[in-house]
Amino acid sequence: MTAPRPRWFEDVTVGETLPPLEFDVTLTSLVMYAGATWDFHRYHYDPEFVAELGMPAPFMDGQMVGALMARQLMQWGGADAFVRKLNYRQRGMVYAGDRIVLRGTVSNKSEDQERALVSCALTVTKTDGTEIVRDATAAIELGRRP
Amino acid sequence: MSTYITDELRSWIGREATYTAPEELGQASIRYFAMALGDDNPVFSDAAFARSTRHGGVIAPPTLICETNQIFQNPPDANGYIGHDWSLPLPSNRFMRGGNEYEFHQPVRADDRITVRWRLLDIYERETSRAGVLIFVVSEARYTNQKGELLAVNRETNIHQP
Repeated sequence: MTAPRPRWFEDVTVGETLPPLEFDVTLTSLVMYAGATWDFHRYHYDPEFVAELGMPAPFMDGQMVGALMARQLMQWGGADAFVRKLNYRQRGMVYAGDRIVLRGTVSNKSEDQERALVSCALTVTKTDGTEIVRDATAAIELGRRP
Repeated sequence: MSTYITDELRSWIGREATYTAPEELGQASIRYFAMALGDDNPVFSDAAFARSTRHGGVIAPPTLICETNQIFQNPPDANGYIGHDWSLPLPSNRFMRGGNEYEFHQPVRADDRITVRWRLLDIYERETSRAGVLIFVVSEARYTNQKGELLAVNRETNIHQP
């Protein structure tokens, strides 16, 4: 288990990149996520049902990509981080068998007495380059160097 | 352009639906969600580690409460779905997700008992070059705990194809 140390706000530079996160979307991972979110819709595990809808395979819920972006941000931000905002527009479907890559870049930093925030621009693509989300941005609160 | 936005459909704008979970979220639900994402961040699972952080204890991954249907007590519909659904009078139920805007106001804890208040913010249609006329349904969900503290807000757009 990686015990993330705090990433101090003072140490973050605008333009730096977050470590990319690659995720294999398998039927198993879709079923695990469906179970964990009490989402028992056949979209996520029933190949015959989705074939009738013209889909090539069971597919990922659009919010699972948001959950993965939050995972990436929280891991990068370290133990004291807390995601404050996350926005994205859905552009493409993700099916069982796809591998997706999440990338992020620090776009801005701001702080006041209450909190220190880092803004990030995010992308999610399949390994063949297909765009999954557009206009994805986040604001993450970081700890300040004591 | 013909309109799908009838007076009846428009009358749904502003409607609300409130649900309160029958029990606390629970540490197991937090660990299950993190595991499903391949997320080994100890702030979601390791009580001793999490106590040493600014959070003072284990917290839930940010989007968990916006995602989980644990809050609902509906029986599964024909396709297995148990979550919130407006059941709008639309020409078809073919839809895809348009996007999400999340605000996270404070970390969620295992002993939080969640209430969600859904509100239908807007329904509009737009001519698109790719798919013709599409109907956009914008909803907002506000999540609070048993103390009435605001935890998160999720504004989401679903795009229906008539």
